[in-house]
Amino acid sequence: MLRYIAKRLLDLLPVILGITILVFLFLKLIPGNPAIVLLGPRATPDQIASLSKQLGLDQPLPLQYLAFISKLVRFDLGKSIISGIPIWQEIKTRFPATIELSVAAMLISMVLGIPAGIIAAVKKNGWVDNIAMSTSLLGVSMPVYWLGLLLIYLFAVNLHWLPPSGRLGINVDLQPITGFYILDSILTLNFRALGDVLAHLILPALTVGTIPLAILARITRSAMLEVLSQDYIRTARAKGLLERWVIMKHALKNALLPVVTIIGLQFGTLLSGAILTETIFSWPGIGSWIYNGILTRDYPVVQGGVVFVAIVFVLINLLVDISYAFLDPRIQYK
Amino acid sequence: MIRRLKRWQAALCVLVAILTVTLSNCAQQAPTPSTEGGNSPSGSPAESTALVFGSPGDPKSLEPGNVEDGNSLYVQQQIYDRIVDYKDGSTELEPALATEWSASDDNLTWTFKLREGVKFHDGTEFNAEAIKVNFERWWDPNHPLGFRDAGKTYAIWEGLFGGYKGDEDSLLQAVNTPDEYTVEFVLKQPFAAFPAAIGSAYFGIASPTAIEQAGADYGIAGSQAIGTGPFKFVEWRTGDRIVLEANPDYWNGAPKSQEVVFRFITEPASRLAELRAASIDFTVDIAPDQLSELQSDANLKEVRRPPFNVGYLALNPSYEPLAKKEVRQAIAMALNRKQIVDSFWSGLATSDGQFMPSSLKQYQDANLGDYEYNPDQAKQMLADAGYPNGFPLELWYMPVSRPYFPTPKPIAEAFAADLQAVGIQVTLNTKDWAAYLDDRYKPPGYQAFMLGWTGDYGDPDNFMYYHFGPGGTKDLGNWENPEVFRLLEEARQESEESERAKLYAQAEKIIFDEALRVPIVHSEPLLAQRANLIGWTPSPLSTESFETVSKS
Amino acid sequence: MDSVSTPPVTQQSSLRKASQRFFKSISARIGLILTVLIIVLALLAPILRPYDPATARDFAARLQPPGAVHLLGTDGLGRDMLTLIWYGTRISLLVSVLSVGLGLITGTLMGLVAGYFRGWWETIIGWFTDILLAFPSILLAIAIASIDLNFPPLFTAVFNPDLLNVMIAVGIVQVPIFTRLTRSMVLSLREQGFVQTVRAFGAKPGRIIFLHILPSSLAPLVVQATLSIGTATLEAAGLGFLGLGAKPPTPELGTMLSDSFNNGYALSKSWTILFPGLMITLIVLAFNLLGDGLRDSLDPRSNR
Repeated sequence: MLRYIAKRLLDLLPVILGITILVFLFLKLIPGNPAIVLLGPRATPDQIASLSKQLGLDQPLPLQYLAFISKLVRFDLGKSIISGIPIWQEIKTRFPATIELSVAAMLISMVLGIPAGIIAAVKKNGWVDNIAMSTSLLGVSMPVYWLGLLLIYLFAVNLHWLPPSGRLGINVDLQPITGFYILDSILTLNFRALGDVLAHLILPALTVGTIPLAILARITRSAMLEVLSQDYIRTARAKGLLERWVIMKHALKNALLPVVTIIGLQFGTLLSGAILTETIFSWPGIGSWIYNGILTRDYPVVQGGVVFVAIVFVLINLLVDISYAFLDPRIQYK
Repeated sequence: MIRRLKRWQAALCVLVAILTVTLSNCAQQAPTPSTEGGNSPSGSPAESTALVFGSPGDPKSLEPGNVEDGNSLYVQQQIYDRIVDYKDGSTELEPALATEWSASDDNLTWTFKLREGVKFHDGTEFNAEAIKVNFERWWDPNHPLGFRDAGKTYAIWEGLFGGYKGDEDSLLQAVNTPDEYTVEFVLKQPFAAFPAAIGSAYFGIASPTAIEQAGADYGIAGSQAIGTGPFKFVEWRTGDRIVLEANPDYWNGAPKSQEVVFRFITEPASRLAELRAASIDFTVDIAPDQLSELQSDANLKEVRRPPFNVGYLALNPSYEPLAKKEVRQAIAMALNRKQIVDSFWSGLATSDGQFMPSSLKQYQDANLGDYEYNPDQAKQMLADAGYPNGFPLELWYMPVSRPYFPTPKPIAEAFAADLQAVGIQVTLNTKDWAAYLDDRYKPPGYQAFMLGWTGDYGDPDNFMYYHFGPGGTKDLGNWENPEVFRLLEEARQESEESERAKLYAQAEKIIFDEALRVPIVHSEPLLAQRANLIGWTPSPLSTESFETVSKS
Repeated sequence: MDSVSTPPVTQQSSLRKASQRFFKSISARIGLILTVLIIVLALLAPILRPYDPATARDFAARLQPPGAVHLLGTDGLGRDMLTLIWYGTRISLLVSVLSVGLGLITGTLMGLVAGYFRGWWETIIGWFTDILLAFPSILLAIAIASIDLNFPPLFTAVFNPDLLNVMIAVGIVQVPIFTRLTRSMVLSLREQGFVQTVRAFGAKPGRIIFLHILPSSLAPLVVQATLSIGTATLEAAGLGFLGLGAKPPTPELGTMLSDSFNNGYALSKSWTILFPGLMITLIVLAFNLLGDGLRDSLDPRSNR
């Protein structure tokens, strides 16, 4: 098993290298000079030229790439051109926000999606099945940012049930310890803050969670259907076991495998969905940060942010594969 | 099988129908005035004294002299004082860290008497030496506290004062401190607007001790920004908020509110939503199209910033057809500027032929007139200039909202329609903001583009010299008019108000005739607040201190 | 997979079976009808238009709520929303169909090469695919769409150059999906009897790939392409929302959403976001229904 993991990790190296090359090249291909961004609208060409030199932008591309890589392996992602804040510092404060959002989104989609899928499969062709499946089809067909706007419009602007944006109310005193606000408020036993954090979390989490929710419901349903048609389930039923017992104990356990895979894969795509959603909800996470970096041509932010996100994405996929290997004894580790 | 799918179909249809009906019902509800507002679930700010300001974004940095964006300056305005300040809601000077100032007879030396007994938030004594350190690190490329090797440039200094120490164009020659509370600025040539210029929001005075301690990191998130201002820096959570607390020892008396929180909310729609939910108390950069929504909510109040800007359409003479003055004038006449301004600014703007806003009207030629909307005459002029069938024109519009052009894209589409009507074939174009600003300097530059200007300080020099003086027309193919250059230089050095007024009026006449940057609009930027907020007087110069703002 | 990989004689009958299955399914029929309807309306837009989207603007009637004159209201320039959405649909379809075409052709070719030749080809193409898949798709699309590409005039004469960038961006995002799909099919096909036979007769690789392997892998590719049109529509609208893509006055659904959002009236004049978003959803839904229906009928054992 360890050898399997080690081999998979080794396989990742060229992919990660490719990611860094691609990110680097894309940023060079995009028009616009970061020196201008820094200097603002009044900059003179002389100032621009001298700053470009200072930033190393006048070097040949391979040299610039080597400089970037040699810093990267030392975990030095540089500083934001715009704000001067070290990229690592920013990732450390923003990543928890994105993770908290993604986990909440994933929880919502699991809590709603898996039971919906199970019921839909058990009551195949019933009303629950029909509604669940058509809702999930609609869910994957909607632009998420649009859904986010509709949710803000409905629940924040018109009904005043939930706050329209942000992560934490102003009058709530919560000092970040871990950066995960839910955890922080529980650790400090600050339940007022906990309520506030949850209130801010619901709408963006629902927005980001819609697509995984829809996909999970569909996958769970089809996995359950497949398992329910297997011989051993029929045998179990024939033995006179309680239907609920059959479903919970035998069917669900075996249907879980593809579901776990999908959860992992969707977790990666959540990061993608987070970019637009975080912007709409002014959520201080990685997504809105990278998006802002793109808008302002903040090269180090985009470089560092995208490389980080892509690597996390790759690692999550690896974890999925490994957990898959654990769950499914049929897989051979060559 | 068939039965199952029929239900499928039915379920799907019902679902789509429900969704559509629910949402379109909401759509219809929208215009009805809402008065209930303000019952926010997440604790209403009314219960505390913290003022919450909805800022359009994170500051770039809290380091004075090194940033120019409004988001940074708004926060800096609270933390730092400047040597001189502006009276509430005006561009008139008033004492701040200096209590009085005067120019020498040759107008080359400005002497400032400083306020005594003022302390920075970190306890450092404020004195002439502190001023000297702050100014020299901006001005002197070799100053040890300038940290230019870390990429700092202080570009705004060059923008307003010609250059750095050692440059030929540097306006400043020396900073002297004859005694602990006196500071002298020696200039190379007279500059009448000097006190106004150093009073602009860029030049807050920071604690030299704090700069020395933080080094090149001074002002970034995670460092301590230390000034003498009404509020002290507490915390900056990037992407989320900045927290400031009252400075009880402020020389002008403790501010009215205990705490100010800047919350970062990028989109204007979200800012207004937050304001309606009472989770912020006041905010800026509301789009004119939001005015009706704002007015429909009894808990909100619209606030207008006094107009001190110009939005213009630049016509680059280095593009062949635009080289002829008559063609540029024809374009100015082809644009139905009044209608466009009425349609897109909800009555929050005026349009005239003046490049400078009306608050500088003592420097304007009252008889200047305006280009009347007259497409027929415009067509005729184009034909006379040799373009009876028009010509292709690439018009660039800004990708971002600015107070002078809050919604650049639809406005550009309106321009395009008007120009199309006289036969000019317009293609609209844009690129991201940084590249947009950058590429207009790359020869030959854009053929035509939208841009604007908000005054840094209350002097015509800041509008005229920067746009039409030497070095100011790089985005117009280095257009130059010796007469305009001479008038602007002379006005810069003249200290007699009435003489300056005459010089600027003459310059403006030529500029109007040349139709290079066709003034489209002087707008009143729209701001908004909760009805229970008092004491907020927006400055025409875009940012102001919140020391008098509180909630009832 | 047996229904598509069996020799050609029975293929026709299996196709008939598939189409019987397809038309039995009502959701597939809804998908087909919706898709056809959307395509026909998009094609007819220039003929049946109520207003001209480029010139029919009335500043006096900006941001009018839905009513008798403008069924879906007007936008920030006083243009008829219905017309804009109608034209926007046309643009969205054009972009998504062409970009999926691009992704399909490139991806399939790469998949065929990787799966048939194995060895270094497979390693390099696999590596490339892994890298592309490691990026959140929207980031990849943003990056490609932001590049200043210079197209030969031949292209720009046929297509709107702003849209070309978006097509390429969305198309490239689709490439790895088709590469992986094709490769996996080729891997199973190349060991099968009929391929082995033609190879034994000395057929050239190109011939084997295009005459024998590709036709047998068509069904899953068609299914994936249909579903991909849905994702491509979403992706292109997302780029439009971010300000990349159609330049004014070209109406585009995602751009309509961002115009409303960026200009501050998204939450007060809600028809300006409601209807374009609904249209996007409808297009994607139509292709998803159709794709699901196709999959169920072409590959009945698949349950997804």
